[in-house]
Amino acid sequence: MTRDLMYQEEIKESVKQAYSAISAGGGEEVAHRLYDQSELGEVPAGAIVWALGVGNPVRYAFIEGGETILDIGSGGGIDTILAAKRTGSNGKAIGLDILEEMGDRGRRHAVEADVSEWTEFIQGEMEAIPLESGLVDLVISNGVLNLSGRKSRTLAEIFRVLKPGGRLCVADLTVENDLPPEVANDPSAWAG
Amino acid sequence: MAERDFAKKLEKAGFTDVWIGGHRPFAIDDAALYPLFSEEVIDLMRQTVPRDHHDHVATGVIVKAGKPRDASG
Repeated sequence: MTRDLMYQEEIKESVKQAYSAISAGGGEEVAHRLYDQSELGEVPAGAIVWALGVGNPVRYAFIEGGETILDIGSGGGIDTILAAKRTGSNGKAIGLDILEEMGDRGRRHAVEADVSEWTEFIQGEMEAIPLESGLVDLVISNGVLNLSGRKSRTLAEIFRVLKPGGRLCVADLTVENDLPPEVANDPSAWAG
Repeated sequence: MAERDFAKKLEKAGFTDVWIGGHRPFAIDDAALYPLFSEEVIDLMRQTVPRDHHDHVATGVIVKAGKPRDASG
C-alpha cells in the first residue's frame, strides 16, 4: 500500500474511532447555535443530543415535496429528519453513516419524529456510496465532507448518485490558514 | 480545506453553479463544544494558535452546487 493510501486509511480509522467513542454529540448548546426553535421542535430530543454539525444545510436547500434526499454522515439523524419533514411522504430521505450505531440512533429518532415510513438509514462510506447512480435529487451533509481523506473521490461519488439537474447543499468548515503542525497532525483534529 | 480548493474540487468533479456563502467564524471555544475534540487538542490549539486567531480558527460555510441537466455520469 502506498503511503498516501495508508494515510487515508489512518484518517478513516481515526474518524471512526473518534465517533465510536463518544456517548453524545454537542447537545443543546451546539443545536441552538445552528437551528431555530421551530426547527428544533420538529426533531426528537435524542437527535438534538447527537447534534454534531457545523451549520444548517436544510435551511439553505429549499427542499420541495417529493424529492429524494441523501444526508451524508447522518449521525443521530437531525438533518435527515428535517429533510424528511420537508420532502414529505411522497419523497424519501436517506441517511448514510459509516457507523451502524449511528444508523440505529437515526432510525429510532425517525420513528419518534413520525417520518420513518419514508426515511431509511444505511451504513457505508462516503467514498463509496452504496446507492445506484442518478437516484437522488439533493445531497446534504453537515460537517462531514472535511473528514474524508479522499475528498475528490467523495465529490465524484456525490456527483454519481445525483440525478442530472440534482444539487448539493452542505455545511462544512474551511481553513484558510494552516493550523500549527502539532494540531494538524493530532488524530483528534482530523476527527473534528 | 481552503474555500477555493473546495470550489475547485467541485468543478473538477463536474459540478456547476458553485456557491459558497453563510460564512461564520469558528472559534477554539466553538470546537470545545464538540466531544470529538479531545481536551488535549483544544489545549494544544490554545497554546499554538496565535491568540488573535483564537476566535477564528476556521470558517463555517454553506456550499451549494448543481449537477448539469445534460450530465451523463
